[in-house]
Amino acid sequence: MVTDSDLVRHLGEASVSVELETEDMTLNIGPQHPSTHGVLRLVARVDGERAFDVKPVIGYMHRGYEKLSEVRTYPQITALINRIDWVSGYANEIPFVVAAEKLLGVEVPERAQYIRLILTEMARIASHFMFMASYPQELGALTPIMFSLRERERVLDLIEGVTGGRFHPNFNRIGGVKPNAGSGPTTKKTPQDLPAGFLAETRDAMDRVLVACDDLEDLVAGNEIVLARTKGIGILPPEVAAAYGVSGPNLRASGVNFDLRKAESYLPYDKFDFDVIVGETGDCWDRWWVRLQEMRESVKIVQQAVDGIPPSGPLQAKVPKVIKVPKGETYVRAENPKGEMGYYLVSDGGMGPYRLKIRSASFSNISILPWILEGVLMPDIIAIMGSLDFVLGDVDR
Amino acid sequence: MTSSPSDTEATVHPLQEFADHVAETVGGTASIEADTIKVRIAVDEWADALTKARDDLDLVFFSWLSAIDWANEVEAGDALNVEVDERFELLCTVGDLTEGRRVTFSTDLSKDKPSISSLVDVYAGANWHEREAAEMFGILFVGHPNLEHLYLLDSFIGNPLRKSYPLLSREVKPWPGSVDVEAMPEQSSGESGSPQTASTENPEA
Repeated sequence: MVTDSDLVRHLGEASVSVELETEDMTLNIGPQHPSTHGVLRLVARVDGERAFDVKPVIGYMHRGYEKLSEVRTYPQITALINRIDWVSGYANEIPFVVAAEKLLGVEVPERAQYIRLILTEMARIASHFMFMASYPQELGALTPIMFSLRERERVLDLIEGVTGGRFHPNFNRIGGVKPNAGSGPTTKKTPQDLPAGFLAETRDAMDRVLVACDDLEDLVAGNEIVLARTKGIGILPPEVAAAYGVSGPNLRASGVNFDLRKAESYLPYDKFDFDVIVGETGDCWDRWWVRLQEMRESVKIVQQAVDGIPPSGPLQAKVPKVIKVPKGETYVRAENPKGEMGYYLVSDGGMGPYRLKIRSASFSNISILPWILEGVLMPDIIAIMGSLDFVLGDVDR
Repeated sequence: MTSSPSDTEATVHPLQEFADHVAETVGGTASIEADTIKVRIAVDEWADALTKARDDLDLVFFSWLSAIDWANEVEAGDALNVEVDERFELLCTVGDLTEGRRVTFSTDLSKDKPSISSLVDVYAGANWHEREAAEMFGILFVGHPNLEHLYLLDSFIGNPLRKSYPLLSREVKPWPGSVDVEAMPEQSSGESGSPQTASTENPEA
């Protein structure tokens, strides 16, 4: 005979043995969310607090640069491509002009190489400052953005002083750097040299960058909340990163000692003493830490380059007025702030490329998102996405 | 840093030994041009060759995959100076993460229904690159898990990076650079090339 108390006990046991069925929900994130640095949309299946089957939807900023390059001349393309990753526009130009110079067989004068290198490293510092500003902000720490953007502005001012542009310098020419802007088409071209006092100002700015790095380290590395939200979150194993083509600081944070500045010879990095910063676990914290240390290394490179730059000399190799790149194909890649940026240039001997494949770092870097966001907690989506430091212009091209 | 093409042909390129080793391992033919190793592979051996490159040559880093449309008639840009075999050339660059070596693998696909086995199982990163190549060139990657549009709208018709695809903005309005810039001396003598690019040369550059 079943008593009331038996029934109550039975019901009690039944209620704990039945699993809680939760209903899946499809959640749309974006396309406009501050952590996406552009317009990226994520569609995720949400089960309770966890996200599954995350599907990035890209293409909102696709500008078709590969097609446009086919109807433009080589000098025009440098103006296009520094809009790919607009946070470090200067660095985008380098692999393209180097690819054209390789096919042309042009030797770039040493002073021009040094200027390219100094500006590239400044672009890296500016790009990493942007990360140092935005990433803690996405995690809720609002102070670093003030420190970071203030210092970034000084670096951008220096870039602007040389090139005339903060974001889109369009300063490289095939064979060297920009000739004097006012010289006109018929007069003899005189290269535009560095502005007066540039080297001294750069030394000063680099000292300030180091101070800012210390400040940022104090602010962020001592912040318990940031640590709790980044340590052990979004771990990316090196073999997965390599298979997806994740490059740059994201790859090095996973413990891979690989830097194209050491492996390739697109700029004379072999003349300078700097370390490749490598992380340990490949979590969000390591990706932040690697970038901070890389800024210090970039400062080291700029300081050495400022000391070692040839005091005078040509800024432009002798190239024909109308540039026609000889028939050929080459791939040139460079270590950009976001990772491997490269151009596969196919020339048929004309005034523009027959085909220009743009390999941008952020595209491969965010193709990892479906893998890395599988089963993570909802708030970690933002922490992981932000730590990958991508720019949608670099994704969509 | 930049070596002239004639130098590379005259002496043995420092990468030649590695290039030959790659070609032998994967079963293809290697060539070096402007410090870029290109290994040509037969279409049927595409996925096998890339698997060997990953496992036997330690080329674990997937850099990029894309294609070239070799066409004699173009709708946008300049036509080729020489006649070529009409085909798609599929390219895939992979590298190692120790020595800084990289190899561009290449194979030819027919213009008529181009299709090839997918590399997604070999390099997970090939997923997005193949989707891009599929929508831009109309190449079918057999075995790809979701070959839907990546950049373009689902309703978009056409393959924009094919040479037969016109650049519509140029059709609607000619390149404005042509009215701002005086013609270069060598263009006045009837230089070949499309009017779009021929008249856009910036005299300052």
